[in-house]
Amino acid sequence: MDNKKTILIVDDVEINRMILAEVFKDKYQVLEAGDGKAAVEIMNQNPSISAVLLDILMPELDGLGVLRKMNKNGKIKTIPVFLITSAENEDMLLEGYNLGAIDVIRKPFMTHFLRCRVDSVIELYAHRNELERIVLEQVEKLNNLNQSMVETLATVIEFRDCESGEHVKRISSLTKALMEEVSSTYVEYYLPQVEIDKIASSSILHDIGKISIPDSILNKPGRLTKEEFEIMKQHTTKGCEILQTIPNLMDEGLYNYSYDICRHHHERWDGRGYPDGLCGDEISIWAQVVSVADVYDALTSERVYKSAYDHETAVNMIFNGECGTFNPKVLQAFQNVMEKTHRD
Amino acid sequence: MDLLEELKAKGVNTEEGLNRLMNNTGLYQRMLLKLADMLRKSPVDLDFDNNDCTTAIEQAHALKGATGNLSVTPLYEAYTKAVDLLRAGKPEEAREVLRNLIPVQEEILTIIEKYK
Repeated sequence: MDNKKTILIVDDVEINRMILAEVFKDKYQVLEAGDGKAAVEIMNQNPSISAVLLDILMPELDGLGVLRKMNKNGKIKTIPVFLITSAENEDMLLEGYNLGAIDVIRKPFMTHFLRCRVDSVIELYAHRNELERIVLEQVEKLNNLNQSMVETLATVIEFRDCESGEHVKRISSLTKALMEEVSSTYVEYYLPQVEIDKIASSSILHDIGKISIPDSILNKPGRLTKEEFEIMKQHTTKGCEILQTIPNLMDEGLYNYSYDICRHHHERWDGRGYPDGLCGDEISIWAQVVSVADVYDALTSERVYKSAYDHETAVNMIFNGECGTFNPKVLQAFQNVMEKTHRD
Repeated sequence: MDLLEELKAKGVNTEEGLNRLMNNTGLYQRMLLKLADMLRKSPVDLDFDNNDCTTAIEQAHALKGATGNLSVTPLYEAYTKAVDLLRAGKPEEAREVLRNLIPVQEEILTIIEKYK
């Protein structure tokens, strides 16, 4: 097996295919298709095709139809397509360009120019595809590094708070489920999945400020005094101070979500939360969602100062307003998610 | 005279056609035979419907591309003109061009087939 790149020639006239094959056979492995439908099948079976030379007017599926399919399956982003045509219809050629064709070559073509154009575009695409691969690899490494850092920080807090690492994992997974539900149900709260994933990761750090709270308060096996509670409330702002010392170690989006969640996950819909007394949608939707997730998890978990409530009791307490007032839309999403998870 | 000289005398741009095939004379000759076969088996049907020239356009367009790539200039120019007229909604004028093309095409085909 040689290392020749592969090109696909698509033309319903055999003579045209044979001429093009002759032009390119020394440098490339040449595949041929007699119509658009066959071309799409060949592309699906050969992921390493480096370029497509595509006639426009063909039976079954024409060249523009092939381009539309390539747009749909994403191949147009990685495979350069040359329209090789004797058609003079400018609207058709313009549509070809709009659908992502890299160039139009008129029949009868000049062999030397055709080879030069195809060679240089294939080289450019190979270079670009390789750069994209490297960038994606780097982004993935960076994301993994971010995630590890966030998890490490969260584990430190958990350790300090006498809890297992399971709490932050539960918060993260419930935040993700709630955000997906809210985003898909309420158009005003729509966010793309990539942002929801960042929010879920950021939620892990919501209690990072607890690291600054004295053990005597953090792990007090009873009700906090008013003064102690005031100190406890500072974990929201102290958390932001901690995050401000490490912004360069985190992805900007992750940092912004973490900061906001850290500061505002104890705010309440009616403005009676802390530290800023925000109300309604002054509180970001992600901070609102983490609030509900945090309260539910706190209620259903055992703490030094209380035993765990069962699921139904916890849900009732949240809906009865015993843990503060929440956005009715977030509560509806919470109910939907709970029904799904407890039904499954 | 050989095949290429005879075709050249009829206006075929054999140098350009050969150049397109990396100066492979044997291949050029085989392609010309394929073209002759195509012209015999899939000619433009002159009995097309003046109100629906789709098939005639497709047939003439395919022959335009193939004759152009082999630089069979007299045929290429005639098929180009016919396609343009058909697309411009002038079927009678296109039919006339295609009718006038028949003897020219026949002469060229005869030469190609003589060297089979």
